[in-house]
Amino acid sequence: MSVTESPLTKGSYDPVAWNFKLIAQHTLDGFGGMGEGMSIQIAPDGRRIIWLAHESAPKNFTAVDVSDPRKPKVVCQTDLPQAYMRSNSLEITDQVMAVAYQCQKINQKPAGFELFDISKPENPKSIAFVDCSGPHSRGVHQLWFTDGEYVHMAAGAADFEPTHPNDDQCYRCFDVRNPSKPVEVGRWWLPGTRKGDNEPPPARHQKPALDKGNRAHNTNVYPQRPDRLYLAYLDAGMFIMDISDKSKPKPISRFDNSPPYTGFTHTVVPLFDRGLVIMTDESTNDNATDWPKLIWILDARDETNLVPISTCPLPNPEDYKTRGGRFGAHNIHENTPRPTSWQSDQIVLGTFFNGGLRAYDISNAYQPKEVATFVPPGPAMSKYASIQLNDVFVDEREIVYTVDRFSGGLYILEMDF
Amino acid sequence: MLDLFPSRDAGPFGRRQKHARGGRVPVTVITGFLGAGKTTLLQHFLRTPEGRGTAVIVNEFGEVGIDDALIRDCSDQTALIGNGCVCCVVRSDLQNALRKMVIDRERGEIPPFVRIVIETSGLADPGPILQTFATDRSLGSEFFVDVAVTVVDAATGLDTLGWSSESRKQVILADRIILSKTDLAEPDAMPPLRARLRELNSLAEIVMADEGKVDPHCFIESAGDGERSAFVAEAEHSDGITSFVLTEDRPVNWSAFTRTMETLIALRGADLLRAKGFLDVEGCRGPVLVQFVQHLPHPPVELAAWPEGKRGTRIVFITRNITETEVRALFDAVRNLILVS
Repeated sequence: MSVTESPLTKGSYDPVAWNFKLIAQHTLDGFGGMGEGMSIQIAPDGRRIIWLAHESAPKNFTAVDVSDPRKPKVVCQTDLPQAYMRSNSLEITDQVMAVAYQCQKINQKPAGFELFDISKPENPKSIAFVDCSGPHSRGVHQLWFTDGEYVHMAAGAADFEPTHPNDDQCYRCFDVRNPSKPVEVGRWWLPGTRKGDNEPPPARHQKPALDKGNRAHNTNVYPQRPDRLYLAYLDAGMFIMDISDKSKPKPISRFDNSPPYTGFTHTVVPLFDRGLVIMTDESTNDNATDWPKLIWILDARDETNLVPISTCPLPNPEDYKTRGGRFGAHNIHENTPRPTSWQSDQIVLGTFFNGGLRAYDISNAYQPKEVATFVPPGPAMSKYASIQLNDVFVDEREIVYTVDRFSGGLYILEMDF
Repeated sequence: MLDLFPSRDAGPFGRRQKHARGGRVPVTVITGFLGAGKTTLLQHFLRTPEGRGTAVIVNEFGEVGIDDALIRDCSDQTALIGNGCVCCVVRSDLQNALRKMVIDRERGEIPPFVRIVIETSGLADPGPILQTFATDRSLGSEFFVDVAVTVVDAATGLDTLGWSSESRKQVILADRIILSKTDLAEPDAMPPLRARLRELNSLAEIVMADEGKVDPHCFIESAGDGERSAFVAEAEHSDGITSFVLTEDRPVNWSAFTRTMETLIALRGADLLRAKGFLDVEGCRGPVLVQFVQHLPHPPVELAAWPEGKRGTRIVFITRNITETEVRALFDAVRNLILVS
């Protein structure tokens, strides 16, 4: 099979496929700009469908039949109602899918999240839409829905006015046990980021161009500790939260690498058996001007005192910063607590934009070691000449799915290590 | 070493791996007597899709007599030679050359190679090269010798094996033997050559080259992680070389195994030419691959699954003047002593 290549500046870098074997690529019928929502459904008829959120309009989400990973087939692709919307995030539990909607500006609509019945993948049916729009809200940026009961999200709200416009999204939790009537049960924000707080607003510790906000991002909850929320909070670092009372989330600990680093804490994944936490930054600026953006390994044996012990090594940014687009960390495979997700506390897979997809052996947590690399050619019709791999998911068959942010669509790989 | 962050998914030997190499860079060692045709076969391999992204290290001593079209005398420089391949000639320090290749790759100064081929001198004993990856912790964590290939000239090989102890050693340690120049050999020379090769190495796969070309998978497919399909009878021949297979149906006590091998190595390490195979270790889910080259053990690796689902200890020994009976007796004695203690 062939991998589509960009006609721009061909040969500007050597593609790499080391210990990953590409088994298929699908450009999703010309709409290959993908976001950070990747989740697998086993449909009632037995088909394995991966649902993918698009990075921006016009498309909302695409469902791809990957029962045979060598022959992916689009079975459904939907549109967003407005060009200023993006979905970018979705999750599935059984036959219910939650999709996030964020707008480009505050006060735009529709903004919030929607629940779908996807028991017939070709024809997703809306069950409920929750409006999170407001005079200071852009909607929902990210959500987490793995237990069928609660949707945890990074979202604005009609009644949340931030003290700084960049700090417009907090952590919100909705009870969806009656999926047709979701009910908000809890909320938390960094003290000082909401108008009316007693605490002063937090300091802006970045250069203005790098000030992305003190706001929620990934909101991960795992069945091993359903009373814990692993909350990434962009320029405020990460928090481990006590959510035993969902109406009153309380911080237990915080780790913030910035300054001197450049903020944008993106994802936090606990490795419970090992007493570790994996934390990622997101690179948000082109040409590595926000370098370094890394995957961090933290000693979390004492969850009240997180200690960084290593980072996953990356190549010299000098070799990547001129390839176009971003270079640095972003998403990792999150050990999503679903039967259709691979679980590993030995291997971390992460996407690095033009740095491609890399796998790390963290069996020695003090010395993560890169064991596989996939940097495909820049895809055709992309904004950039280089690849911009945006997210990764591994299913329980150990098949790897990774997506390009602009046009490359879905890449399906096998691990060979 | 105390592991502060143990994982239930890891065994006593660390992460269970899909194959013995894990994430390390695969290494192919090509050896063969002077003029056997190593370079010609390598040249063809490097031009195939399977050869793309290969870094070649030519380990030469003395005069370099190599086809300029393939490999220039580049001393410590690494040269691009097409199809994403690079090459350097190393006269002295193979370990430094390997380390430099890794660093140059990280720096983006050479293309990202996916394998290394080490072409040895025609007079080389491949043993020390194989040992390099066991002795050097940093190299052993980066590289894994997938296969040792020996090229034998079909026309002159039988004669060479008669008088050259280096050529015999090259055959003894091979995982795969390629017979080159088969078009130049007399047809009736092949059976005695094959018989002699089998005397020296009853396990290696023997492959015929055709006009300087051979299936490129010969250079990249591993030797099978110690699993052999043919029954190996104890065979003794000139030089006192013996090969035999130890099997065990019951799970093996790891302490007993290591103590036995330590004793064997301490007493007769130089004569333990090679030992390689799978162990069914007590408390482990998957097979544990062990490998010894003379007195040097390679780090053991647990695999995720038993090949073809068949569980059981099977280790191939190639020894000089050490019999199977002696090795079995040593294993039994140590095991019995440990059981009593």
